[in-house]
Amino acid sequence: MADDQRPFDSQAADGRLLAQDRLRELMREYQAGRFEAFDEIYASIAPALRRYLLSQARDGAKAEDLVQDTFLQMHRARHTYDPSLPLMPWAMAIARHVWLMDRRTLSRRPWAPDDVTTMDLPVKGEAASYADRDDVRRALGKVAAPRRAAVIQHHVLGFSFKEIAERAGIAETAAKLRSSRGMGQLRALLGATEGTERTDRKRKP
Amino acid sequence: MNVPAQLRARLAAEYHPVRPLRSPWARALLVVPLAIVALIAAPVAFDVRPAANLGWLGVWGLSIAQSMIGLLVVGAALRESIPGRDWSRGALALWLAIPILIVVGVTLTSWEASPVLLRGQWWFVAGVCFAGSAATALPAVAFASILAARAYPTRPAVAGALLGLGAGLMADAGWRIFCHFSEPAHVLSVHLAAVIMSTIVGSLVAVRTCGLRGEEYPLDEPVAAGENHRGRSQ
Repeated sequence: MADDQRPFDSQAADGRLLAQDRLRELMREYQAGRFEAFDEIYASIAPALRRYLLSQARDGAKAEDLVQDTFLQMHRARHTYDPSLPLMPWAMAIARHVWLMDRRTLSRRPWAPDDVTTMDLPVKGEAASYADRDDVRRALGKVAAPRRAAVIQHHVLGFSFKEIAERAGIAETAAKLRSSRGMGQLRALLGATEGTERTDRKRKP
Repeated sequence: MNVPAQLRARLAAEYHPVRPLRSPWARALLVVPLAIVALIAAPVAFDVRPAANLGWLGVWGLSIAQSMIGLLVVGAALRESIPGRDWSRGALALWLAIPILIVVGVTLTSWEASPVLLRGQWWFVAGVCFAGSAATALPAVAFASILAARAYPTRPAVAGALLGLGAGLMADAGWRIFCHFSEPAHVLSVHLAAVIMSTIVGSLVAVRTCGLRGEEYPLDEPVAAGENHRGRSQ
């Protein structure tokens, strides 16, 4: 029977099989040392992973972060992929693991909230000269989440870097680095806020 | 759809060719030397069970069969450690229940063929059998945990429990030869408790070695910034 005369379902199934075979081949090449194969793997499976993670997280930005983390973990676990098997179940299992780990991480750190708008920040008196509490909260909200967590845990809640490192499962130096970079980012943001306010004041009649 | 620049740079920094892992069953064969040591350690170090009624098949045959089942369970644990190849709940229940039933079967068979009651100092014998059996399982638990961590267990507790159970069965296969007492009350409490202890230890070790992986590699931190990421070699 010619291809164009076959039932639509059969052709679609053939297409899926071809796509699976192609993905399998690409992953085998990626394992073997062709880094460029990753681009095609990403383009082929990222939408499906995003749909799945979006259905779990119900937050577009969060799902995007999780997709990237899934690809990072796929890269690190690439030696566990068996090229004789389809790629998608392997990738989806990693995506599910990433999602569950993210949930577990959040549940273990109730004292490092993502939402800083309601936090009672102990801003010192001299801080009022360049920014009030709301400015600090707003700036803190713009700092990258892991760095923000380190800043809050160390500077607000008083945890030692060792404790922060243990909680996050990272090295103590990494915790210090996060906090230091978070503070740097915070200072830069507050500086920018101060500059904006001065400009606004000048513009006002 | 293009790969985000940050992700691409991160992957490129770490990229090198890798060889796919061999099949879990083939990797389980690496545990065979430890299984053999666990099988013969206690009988050789102390004394072979003087149970003429059991015969060679009843003594060594049943133990070798139990040890091979332990090896199969380790293979199941290594399969569980590969993403997308985890066992269903039903299969897991069978992997956990069947070995236990086999231990019960081996115990009752031994008791039927050679009934030896434990009369005095039961607590001392229980302590020796429990500690010996559990300790003999530890090297196999440690080694199998390394094999599991070398993969990517998405359910470390489950994979660890399976490999702990497998190691416990292999260790108990040797200790049942050494132990003179075939009384089911002793074997099904103390020896089985050692197997269960090994299962729990395996689970805890796997959670410790494989757990929280997602937290260790945040995307926004550079690798080459003097940090110690505790990364696994691949």
